[in-house]
Amino acid sequence: MSALQIKHLFGLQGVSKQDIRTILDHAKQFREILERPVKKVPSLRGMTVVNLFFENSTRTRTSFELAEKRLSADTVNFTTASSSVKKGETLVDTLRNIESMKIDIVVVRHKGTGVPKFLAEHSNAIVVNAGDGAHEHPTQGLLDMLTIEEKLGTLEGKKVAIIGDIRHSRVARSNIWGMTTMGAHVTLCGPSTLVPRNTELLQYPELAGSVSWETDVKKAVADADAVIALRLQNERMDDALLPSTREYRNFFGITEEVLACCKDKVIIMHPGPINRGVELDSDIADGEHSVILDQVTNGVAVRMAVLFLLAGGRENA
Amino acid sequence: MRRKHTLSDFNCVELKNVKFWNGEKFEARDSVYAGFANRKFAFCNKEDLADLTVKVVDCNGALVIPALFGLGLDFMEPLRDDVYTFNDGLDAMHRGGFFGGLYESAANPIDDCEKLSAANDRLVKDSIYSALAIKFLGAFSKDFGSDHLSEMLELANGLDEDDDSFEGVAGFGDGNAAIPHSRFLRLAMEYGKMTGKRFFFQPMDKTLRKSGCVHEGAYSDMLGMKGIPRIAETIAAYTVLETARFLQVPVHFKQVTCGETLDLVRNARKNGMDVTCDVNLYHLLLDDSCLTELSSAYHILPPIRSAADCEALWKGIEGGTVNAISMNHTPVREQDTEVNFEDSVPGALSLEVALSAIWNKLVARVGEARAIELLSTAPAKLAGVDVPAYEPQVGGVANFVVLDPNKAHVVTKSEFAGHVSNSPLLGKELSASIVGSYINGIWTEN
Repeated sequence: MSALQIKHLFGLQGVSKQDIRTILDHAKQFREILERPVKKVPSLRGMTVVNLFFENSTRTRTSFELAEKRLSADTVNFTTASSSVKKGETLVDTLRNIESMKIDIVVVRHKGTGVPKFLAEHSNAIVVNAGDGAHEHPTQGLLDMLTIEEKLGTLEGKKVAIIGDIRHSRVARSNIWGMTTMGAHVTLCGPSTLVPRNTELLQYPELAGSVSWETDVKKAVADADAVIALRLQNERMDDALLPSTREYRNFFGITEEVLACCKDKVIIMHPGPINRGVELDSDIADGEHSVILDQVTNGVAVRMAVLFLLAGGRENA
Repeated sequence: MRRKHTLSDFNCVELKNVKFWNGEKFEARDSVYAGFANRKFAFCNKEDLADLTVKVVDCNGALVIPALFGLGLDFMEPLRDDVYTFNDGLDAMHRGGFFGGLYESAANPIDDCEKLSAANDRLVKDSIYSALAIKFLGAFSKDFGSDHLSEMLELANGLDEDDDSFEGVAGFGDGNAAIPHSRFLRLAMEYGKMTGKRFFFQPMDKTLRKSGCVHEGAYSDMLGMKGIPRIAETIAAYTVLETARFLQVPVHFKQVTCGETLDLVRNARKNGMDVTCDVNLYHLLLDDSCLTELSSAYHILPPIRSAADCEALWKGIEGGTVNAISMNHTPVREQDTEVNFEDSVPGALSLEVALSAIWNKLVARVGEARAIELLSTAPAKLAGVDVPAYEPQVGGVANFVVLDPNKAHVVTKSEFAGHVSNSPLLGKELSASIVGSYINGIWTEN
């Protein structure tokens, strides 16, 4: 059914270059549609999508919902606050109940790594990962890639610096897999308590030579074409990993001083929501290098592309 | 309805075409007989069974191996007897060829003689199975993890006015709980030293483990899962060893997962300490690359570590640092495994599949005699079992398992006893298959 090699989107690890290319190309077309006065297409008419959010989300859920509505799908929102999960229902039972309502696509966010794959194994629906724990957030990775291609032309040969709380970031992991697949080089930089602990990471054959580490933020951004500042994931930290946000900002925040070390045409990105004055200074978040609002717009286009292609990639699919 | 076995339940068997372990090597035999003779279940001559019904099994050259002994048994009762019962656990032992095991309940710590007596009644005295060699590990703290000492002297002596034959515990351990804080650890060992029993620890520092559920390494990093570093084990092991050295108490480390801990064990032995250790079956069979499957079947604590750690454990087995291979048989009900990895309950069944899974690998690394020692005699010795379970001559005790090392099979749910099947080997192909077992006169054919 899927117009891609993948049947579900669990993450960007293992997704082929061809599939990513197809998604990005379709997203560009949907991006154009979003600029039209009439932004709706009938691609998913008659299909039902459930947004199954076990974690709080505003922008991702809204973005998915908008993408689904732009594709003319029927949408159902399911959050733990309004569900039987709080009454003790198991994940499988929740899914089976939802599936019995004849759902075609499940968009899921959950605190646990692997929940999208688990749901796909227990359901006939197409599953799209909207973030599973600190594992992956593939549509965010795709929209970041779309934004870079839009602004810089291509990902091939580009250098991307990801700064901040990488250990708890599903965005970083999706970006690492997706961007390196598309030929970019990724430099990771953050305090030692917020980066992956094992340099064995570099032993992944798929990542060999494509990912490097840097502890000095100014060195990390020096030759970067794009800088992605990550939000401090306070909700996933179960320890005092930083002495203070002040020190973090002084050593790892994207400030004017850090920006001065960047290339002239660097683009500054952030998956949002921004802790202004912590990982990113306000002047930079709102400044000429920032493409953060483009990321938000591209988020809808990418999610439209993913849903459209996984559902078969045909008009009126 | 529970009932005791009568003699009519017991079997006499003739195993045709087998390779029989004679204590030194396997030798081909046209037939091996076992049955009730001279008041025990023993190897027999054909004529000893002349008037009895004899079950004949053609074994196609399979191996007759001394029955195994399982370290780390927990049969879940009394929490979920609708899912798994003591009898299911004993059934699993027969299916897997175990003549005995060391039992320790995570749900119901044996921290006084009343509990010990109750467990002994259910598992040994009142079981529908003939008495297996079940030994018990007593808790050294009340309810595991409290700051209150259990009645270790009574537990060790097996004080029971109504039953002279009632044995005390084989040793002391607080299940798979992290090691206690240093002050209580000292107190427990100081008090328990009076019993002369060994202390069993699963070395784990709870602050370093925190909410970790997998090995901290490249895979946990890329999967975004909270890891448990090796130092959570080594720091705990070091703390235990220093306390044991200070107090001169024998200790055993359960489920060692990395080479660094084995180094500590080796050094302690060099310094004259009485330290033993075991390695979990699954830590020898799997490495953390399995995490990429994101299956809760691999949720085992302590965690399955890296390929390098796995190899270090094998080296520890080859070099003799590891005393025994443990089973850590832990049933988990289906609804607790049918969730994502981090929310699942850790634990794995092992008794039914252990021998088929590890025999060929183990023999390739250490040879047949050492393989049998690691699975049978050494763990039994650690649990204080001092009577032979297998004597390879006519008239000798006959507890054995018949294994076809060349018959591969895929593990299915039906292989497991009870209403659970939580094993990382479910659906996997194993290179060997158990033909059957003969334990205390019961032939269980697989």
